[in-house]
Amino acid sequence: MEVTLRVKRYDPETNGKGSSQDYTVDVDKDASLLDALIQVREEQDGTLAFRAGCRTGFCGDCTMNVNGKGAITCRTLMSKGLKGAKDGPIELAPLKQVKIVKDLMYDADTFHWAKFKAVEPWVEAAEAPNGSEHLMTNEVTQKLREAMSCTQCGLCDTGCTVIDVDKTFLGPAALTKAYRVVFDTRDTRTKDRLERLSMKRGMWDCTHCFEASEHCPKHIEPTDRIFAMHDEAIKNEAGPPSVVNHYKSFAASVKAHGWLDEGRLAIETEGYTNVKGLLKLLPFAIKAGMKGKRPMPYMFHKKRPGADRIKRIFDKWEDNGK
Amino acid sequence: MKYAFFPGCVSQGGAPELYPATRAVADKLGFELIEMEDVGCTGAGVLSREVSDPINARTFAKAEVMGLPIMTICSTCQGVMTQANHRMKDDEYRESINRKYLAEEGLEYKGTTDIRHMLWAIVEDHGLDKLKEMVVRPLNGMPIAHFYGCYLKRPPELMVPKEFEKTRKTALEDVIEALGGKAVRSSGRGKCCGFPILTSNEENSLAMCGDHILDAKAKGAMAMVTPCPLCHLELDGKQADAAAHKRQEINMPVLHLPQLVGLALGFTAKEMNLQRHLVSTAPVEEWMAAEVKA
Repeated sequence: MEVTLRVKRYDPETNGKGSSQDYTVDVDKDASLLDALIQVREEQDGTLAFRAGCRTGFCGDCTMNVNGKGAITCRTLMSKGLKGAKDGPIELAPLKQVKIVKDLMYDADTFHWAKFKAVEPWVEAAEAPNGSEHLMTNEVTQKLREAMSCTQCGLCDTGCTVIDVDKTFLGPAALTKAYRVVFDTRDTRTKDRLERLSMKRGMWDCTHCFEASEHCPKHIEPTDRIFAMHDEAIKNEAGPPSVVNHYKSFAASVKAHGWLDEGRLAIETEGYTNVKGLLKLLPFAIKAGMKGKRPMPYMFHKKRPGADRIKRIFDKWEDNGK
Repeated sequence: MKYAFFPGCVSQGGAPELYPATRAVADKLGFELIEMEDVGCTGAGVLSREVSDPINARTFAKAEVMGLPIMTICSTCQGVMTQANHRMKDDEYRESINRKYLAEEGLEYKGTTDIRHMLWAIVEDHGLDKLKEMVVRPLNGMPIAHFYGCYLKRPPELMVPKEFEKTRKTALEDVIEALGGKAVRSSGRGKCCGFPILTSNEENSLAMCGDHILDAKAKGAMAMVTPCPLCHLELDGKQADAAAHKRQEINMPVLHLPQLVGLALGFTAKEMNLQRHLVSTAPVEEWMAAEVKA
């Protein structure tokens, strides 16, 4: 079958950007998009640059933007209803968050490795008892196994709304890697790691919007992994004070009243002794108050009829944790 | 239709205009709302699931006893509850929660409760044709950008499953059009508004908020509508800060879903509490007034 690829090209030497080039190739009906690209490079244009490794969906290297959406090209088949395969060009461009080296080839250091390195993705275990092996339960291994199947394709980062506004955000791919070691029971640095992950532009900048999970082709659920690390951090009181305060205040008000005390949450997130932070709240509080938005805190926050039952659930949960 | 109404915390706290507007519009639509008062906050994705799942299971069990579907008015409440309810499909997990947390109150969740956002209730239970018939003040082509809030869209297999794709994928756009407005497709429509990271990274939060509104504006929207009060806290409440951050004037009115429906069904701006918004809704009111005169 004949397909046309419209490739966004970039040549650093001429600083040319934004130009697109069409290539029409005759490919096998079972060909993948990557097969077509390789064919173009071999038969038509040896200057076309892109990344590719295993060709079987293991390495995540050949990820790019296909028709406006991130995709792993070796797993994208022409025959599976790919837009443009039959009637028009298939549009190819680099992923939005990458630094381009040439054409579709991206700089893997800035894309992956710098962020992965920042989460120190290696296990640091204590010496095994009496020279024996370190053992992990099956339950823990299963939990980590899925995270380990990440191919680092970066599609989760492509979907990330935070990366849209800030490319320096650690991002779901690196955070999924971090999960792999945070929950490894052989590792001795859990709290230290959680504190490290609380760095500026770290895990607390995630909005939990589930874009990462939606974009992950391996169903690793990066969003759930980040949730789990947030829970673990709060249990360990690891994190920036305002975040730990926020989570603790949220829980405390639901525990006491059955529902969230927003006024109290705003005050306690800043912290009672943080005068500067509390003063910062004032202009907004006045503006909102004048419009009739006055969520009254503490004793003015009405207790829900079922509040005692909610408190009981919290008590039982806290006992379980001990 | 009769629902076990779960208003959530924000509709009676930081966005108090939403609760009475919902009540009034639900009445008009013929929705009978039995408010669930003795239930807890969903956890909003902040509380650990270890504690929020039992709290939510308790809410589901109570609705099950009432024999009613739950109706929410918050994308976050809806998303957290739908996800929790999905986990309850696992019999072993649900039973462990029943045993540990609900049994002592004489409750048992059997896993049958349906949870529906008001948006879905309008489209799926009430019906768009019926809604169209009830419109007394059509929006007369008012360009409005729909903003779902991330939790009403994702995870898609739970929030917009195959059997509901037809009704839920474009529910908000369809409501706007049924009311006589013109749905404006902005790039942020299904994305996070930025609210969840207001505490941890205000700068990024405001950048997200500003980008979403400015894109809606660039595409011609004169107002935005959202089914999520947390998005409203951000898009309306933090809009001035976002404008300062982006160094641009914005002035985009942002309406809660029931407010927009209410205006088209004949309620006044005051009855829908538009005066409580931080960003002036005057352009919307002027458009409606001009339309009435015409």
